Amino acid sequence: MAVLHVSDLRKTFTRGFLRRRTEALRGITLTVERGEIFGFLGPNGAGKTTTIKILMGLIFPSGGKAEVLGLRAGDPAAKARVGYLPENPYFYDYLSVRELLDMVGRLHGLPAATRRRRGDALVERVGLSHAADRPLRSFSKGMLQRAGLAQALIGEPELVVLDEPMSGLDPVGRKEVRDLVLELREQGTTVFFCTHILADASALCDRVGILVRGRLRDVGSQAELLDPRLLGVDVVWQAPADAVDGLRRFEGQHREAAEGHLLSVADLDQADAFVRALLQAGGRLLQLQPHRQSLEALLMSEVERPDDDPGGEGPPGGAADGREARR
Amino acid sequence: MSGRSDEAGRVRSAMGPRVWAVALNTFREAVRNRVLYVLALFAVGLMAFSVVLGELSMHEEIRVIKDLGLFGISFVGVVIALFLGVNLLSKELDRKTVYFVIPKPLRRFEFLLGKYLGQVLTLTVLVTLMAAILAIFVLVQGGSHGVVMVRAEVLVLVELCLLTAVAMLFSSFSSPYLSAMFTGALWVIGRNRAELLAFATGKKLGGTPLGTVLEACADVVPDFHALYVSGSQLPGGDTVVSVHESFVSWGYVAEASLYGLLYAAACLVGAMVLFARRDLV
Repeated sequence: MAVLHVSDLRKTFTRGFLRRRTEALRGITLTVERGEIFGFLGPNGAGKTTTIKILMGLIFPSGGKAEVLGLRAGDPAAKARVGYLPENPYFYDYLSVRELLDMVGRLHGLPAATRRRRGDALVERVGLSHAADRPLRSFSKGMLQRAGLAQALIGEPELVVLDEPMSGLDPVGRKEVRDLVLELREQGTTVFFCTHILADASALCDRVGILVRGRLRDVGSQAELLDPRLLGVDVVWQAPADAVDGLRRFEGQHREAAEGHLLSVADLDQADAFVRALLQAGGRLLQLQPHRQSLEALLMSEVERPDDDPGGEGPPGGAADGREARR
Repeated sequence: MSGRSDEAGRVRSAMGPRVWAVALNTFREAVRNRVLYVLALFAVGLMAFSVVLGELSMHEEIRVIKDLGLFGISFVGVVIALFLGVNLLSKELDRKTVYFVIPKPLRRFEFLLGKYLGQVLTLTVLVTLMAAILAIFVLVQGGSHGVVMVRAEVLVLVELCLLTAVAMLFSSFSSPYLSAMFTGALWVIGRNRAELLAFATGKKLGGTPLGTVLEACADVVPDFHALYVSGSQLPGGDTVVSVHESFVSWGYVAEASLYGLLYAAACLVGAMVLFARRDLV
């Protein structure tokens, strides 16, 4: 069952005295299924936050349709089943995180005992127990992000929408958010999030959508979207001093790395041949890293592709789903 | 399907608690931002002025304290209502707190209503405490506050509720500066509505197109004068009403309050209609 569905969604902003028009969304079509983690990716200004604001009822579409849990986007009955973390969240800074959760719990119509119980559990879960009664104005950016995650979850939502959830978090905080997202999926919650941090998207997402200049260019799993062909292999190695010169004459690109010598070769056959020679010379293999297309490379190619280009080579197995999406 | 309708039913039935949550938060914000500190300022100002003017007024201390106190409650209340009223919405937008509140299971009109009721609660507490301070001053000077003063203070509170609603209407579509200017101008015109009407129907302008326009304006602007009557002559009456001699009856207070609250409700509905379709970018 579709948890989110947008069809030919368009948004044009009119700004200033001269009523200048900016097309933020140019007809995107997208479906997010129950229980999946969906990553909404794209450069700044691509339209990610605009899409999320339409889904959350903050702005209204200029055209097309947006449904959340089978209801019109912005319908209070749908919002009751959704948890939302805005980008760079701003809360009432005179409240403590406990008071914030109590207020949001009231908006969800939760009884006092439930608000208290869930509030305490969430404060613990996001690691803010030590600051639960401090005003939010004294929080760091990372602590505010954690408070934001807690308020998004107090209604025990079926769908969690996170706009840049890793923003402002240190590596420990990012890992905790990643674990939280995976935990939510295990509990059957659908997670829709947008991010610039492609490593997080790559590690977490069942499917991703790539939005560029208001158009959805690709939708699908990483296996479907990314080119499986090998782009090259990096070999990091060490060898006795008298064997190094011989090994450096091997075909490929040689450089010095922090851990030892680095050889970049075109395919696995060349890598195999080098490793055999390395071992015969009494050297040690430190690392062997095959390279394939990454999400970052895919995103960059989509950003560089002009809007009127139907898609160039495209990834293998890409079938059109939306107006311009490959899947 | 039944799950969906249950959820919709729960959202419909829980409107009261949601509005209360927003109202409580608005009141809490005013208290934590030390709005109620003006009470101390009011008390000190009243004390200083009453001592000075009491000395100058030759045994009319009670009269002076009552007049000054009532003016002070109204003046401080108007400044606070105007300042908080125009910022009720714009602060939410400027500080981007609206981005986290509106996506909650809350209709936009419920949010506006909650903000308004929170401000009314703040003003009620403020006026009640200022009236209590005034009553203590009067008592210390050997007088009594009396029910007449209560009637005047109720009218002041209604005036502040109306002013807040007007400020909210303007701030639903314009910046806080413009909203403050529009609301302030409307308050000045509304307080002097009788003079405007007399001018529009007087010898010079009566019957002229400009007179007709001014008369229409006087009919439309909120009649703040009807809510601050002490020391003035009411239309149709030939005596000056005052909290010292003959003041308006509870019947007048009820009628004027009904007018003020209905006008405020109309402003709120206008604000809700404008806010309902506004893009919160």
